[in-house]
Amino acid sequence: MLTMVIDDSRAMRLILKRIVAQLGFDVVEAGNGQEAMDYLKTNVLDGEGEIPGLALVDWNMPEMNGLEFVTAVRAEPRLRGMTLMMVTTESEQNQIVRALASGAHEYVIKPFTPDAIIDKLALLGLVPNGVAA
Amino acid sequence: MTTQPTVEDLKVIAEQVWSSYLDVDGTSPLLPVAADKKVIDVTASVSVTGAWRGHVLVSCSEAAGKYVGAALLGIEFDDVAEEDVADALGELANIIGGNVKSLLPEPCALSLPHVHIDGSSGRYPAVTEVCHLDGTWRDESVTVTVLESTTDLAGAKA
Repeated sequence: MLTMVIDDSRAMRLILKRIVAQLGFDVVEAGNGQEAMDYLKTNVLDGEGEIPGLALVDWNMPEMNGLEFVTAVRAEPRLRGMTLMMVTTESEQNQIVRALASGAHEYVIKPFTPDAIIDKLALLGLVPNGVAA
Repeated sequence: MTTQPTVEDLKVIAEQVWSSYLDVDGTSPLLPVAADKKVIDVTASVSVTGAWRGHVLVSCSEAAGKYVGAALLGIEFDDVAEEDVADALGELANIIGGNVKSLLPEPCALSLPHVHIDGSSGRYPAVTEVCHLDGTWRDESVTVTVLESTTDLAGAKA
């Protein structure tokens, strides 16, 4: 499955990339929501590239934050198949509710263990249950 | 009455962060004691605005900053560049700051991290220290500090 890892920290992108790569997922990285939207526009909406099945999205990023990215993806019918998981330090209840109401499917709070990510992916049916890091 | 973060809170947060990213195998935890020589070469900070206003700083020696970069980026210590330290320590401040924010009154917003690699810890005018955690990691000093703004925003606008 093609997975977008969207975070302004290269270190965090690498941590997430390692987790999903070991599950056999292919990874595309973006440093913020705008970069991710640009990739989707060029490669998917205006091109013939594969629609990512999953995006792991940070919240606080420059240019376009994670919530804005989720909203933009949900506004595009051709991207309906993308599963969106917020991976962020934002832990206020109202922020979580906002993200889920905007179209995020799952929410993981940093710091996380690899198993926390994999467990959420299993809940979403993207990996078999019982797969551990 | 506002509940303020304490040094015990910082210990819990730091332990979670270290066990998740910096000490995954449990062999080099952050010890909650001041290093023999407290050195501040690098500081990453995030600001909190809203119902509570202030800053969360993560300061450390140059070597500790390189250890953080090596651990998070999966590269050798000697290969860690300045930009690697800035990225990794900025993310560390983001995660620790976000977890501190979860202890504060809502609603609050967290800024993007700022990293000072020139030996300064940045300028934070009109603040008072809420708490700090002096730690030692791999024999190097690491300090987490929470500062609260003392300016009256409503008064300043008047």
